[in-house]
Amino acid sequence: MPYRERMEIRRTVFGGGDGPRVAIVAGLHGDELEGLYVCHRLAAWLEELQRCNPGALLGTVELYPAVNTLGLDTLTRGLPVFDTDLNRAFPGSPSGPLPSRLAAALMSALSGAALVVDIHASNIYLREIPQVRINQDFEALLVPIANRMNMDLIWLHGAATVLETTVAHSLNSSGTPCLVVEMGVGMRISPDYCDQLVAGILSVWKGLGVLSADVDVPETLHTALIADDSNVHFLNAQTSGMFLPTTSHWTDVRRGELLGTVVSPFRGDILSDVRSPVDGVLFTLREYPLVYEGSLMARVMSRKGGRS
Amino acid sequence: MKRDLLCMTAPVREGFDIPCHEIGPTTSHPAVALVAGLHGDEINGIFILARLADFLNSVEAGKYPELRLVKRVLIIPAVNVLGVNLRTRTWPFDKTDINRMFPGSTTSETTQRIAYAVLEATKRAEYRIDIHTASIDFEEIPQVRLYGPSDAERATARKFGLPAIMERSLSPVFTTTMMHSWKAWPGESFVLRVGQAGTVQLQHCQRVFRAMVSFLGKIGVLEGVDIAVEDEDVCYFDKPSAHRVFAEKAGMFVSDRSVGRWVRAGEEVGYIYDSFGGNVIEKVVAPVAGLLSGIRRHPLLFEGDLIVRVNKKA
Repeated sequence: MPYRERMEIRRTVFGGGDGPRVAIVAGLHGDELEGLYVCHRLAAWLEELQRCNPGALLGTVELYPAVNTLGLDTLTRGLPVFDTDLNRAFPGSPSGPLPSRLAAALMSALSGAALVVDIHASNIYLREIPQVRINQDFEALLVPIANRMNMDLIWLHGAATVLETTVAHSLNSSGTPCLVVEMGVGMRISPDYCDQLVAGILSVWKGLGVLSADVDVPETLHTALIADDSNVHFLNAQTSGMFLPTTSHWTDVRRGELLGTVVSPFRGDILSDVRSPVDGVLFTLREYPLVYEGSLMARVMSRKGGRS
Repeated sequence: MKRDLLCMTAPVREGFDIPCHEIGPTTSHPAVALVAGLHGDEINGIFILARLADFLNSVEAGKYPELRLVKRVLIIPAVNVLGVNLRTRTWPFDKTDINRMFPGSTTSETTQRIAYAVLEATKRAEYRIDIHTASIDFEEIPQVRLYGPSDAERATARKFGLPAIMERSLSPVFTTTMMHSWKAWPGESFVLRVGQAGTVQLQHCQRVFRAMVSFLGKIGVLEGVDIAVEDEDVCYFDKPSAHRVFAEKAGMFVSDRSVGRWVRAGEEVGYIYDSFGGNVIEKVVAPVAGLLSGIRRHPLLFEGDLIVRVNKKA
């Protein structure tokens, strides 16, 4: 760095036998903390395993909990100074500017892993249910793994809407499977969601042979709904103001049901009602109250997949 | 005439708008559309277009009897109005880049609505020009940027008379830019890159202002312009002609060179100092002989930062 300090990306490695190598990536965005907590829980579980049953770790686990170290340490989503979204800098180049170098370093560290999970926590505006997001180009390989991740939703994105400069796209395009998890909300930790994901990850690692078949992992109880471009409805604000939800996140809603209102701090009346366009599941709900015209307040999906 | 492209409400402030100038004969669509300030900190372009609007309004008012505006010109000095006022590149509320929100839509996010309104107003123009600067860290020579251009655009680019024309391919990374959306429509599209963000560089602005007036003359929009001969000295650079020097070491970069000079291979262009110890850790030299088309202005360097770009003459 310009004045004295050096920058490094820290990782924790749990080495076992010659089995598959897997990795968890979190904190690419400095305002997303859920993945950091997931890494902490996984580290605690693996440390316990090494104490009690060291032979049960057949492969290698690498945790990269805080890729955007400067962003996390300074409460900034992007890479400070460069004002860059690190997850738009992949695959990067070892001789490019800092965002590109960090991306290249991470790509080189992750390439060849049996599975990488990149954990995101939405942003500071929206709360999301635990979900995996998959580019339809890689659907055949990734959906079966995602189904075992103990998540509540798998959202398939059309190839045209996918950003090619993300770590997941770069890894998947170069033959290293990578799942993107989105859950919770920025700048907060949702322990229940994190524990749910920890159970899913351990179960998937066991299936891959990273953990031995006889090791006990937490139970997985969740089955994912399927979302794609056909069954997701976006609710954008018709007017600016304060959005007040009238229903809770992650519930079933009926068509026409009131989900919230937009009000003004200057007036006592309601500026607009926000109603569900369909019967379905309220899977995204705005957490940060102020909205501009056009701000996303909620997403509702008609049910598809999951348990009937 | 001032018109509001888009009026929107804000959570606790009065509503806001994106105003534009429409100058010249009334037609269904403008012959020339000029846009700046998609990024709120790129002030050179805002200044140039505001000054150009004042000039063309004066032409319309008869203050320059030898000049006549024969076709309609649309000028949007700043798209990111709140970003300009708050000195931020992105849309201040959600920190999104408006130039990554095209083609936009009328029903989605705020910045996509803004993008849609700007695209609707400009896409049918015969000539579309988007003025940018480099970042606040870097200074660029005033130049025309072409992205995957047609032969007609290559020829027209010379009519600005700016010292450099830089050609680039249309990268898939930039599918959500205004330039990319413009290219789906008939007509010609240009980006001008002028200087550095965060300031008005008067020399660059005056040069581009003259270039714009000369351009409007050459394409037959402004009649009576006296076209200077010196404007014809234009260099055309493709991507391989650009030679860049990146910082191999972090530290403090200091240089007294100005952009637009021709340099020799090996000529010193600045020094990197150890910011704690104060000693010189690297002398930065021109990698080839050519035009010094861009130079770093922010002194604090990370490893890998771009320091200078020199374009070799074909």
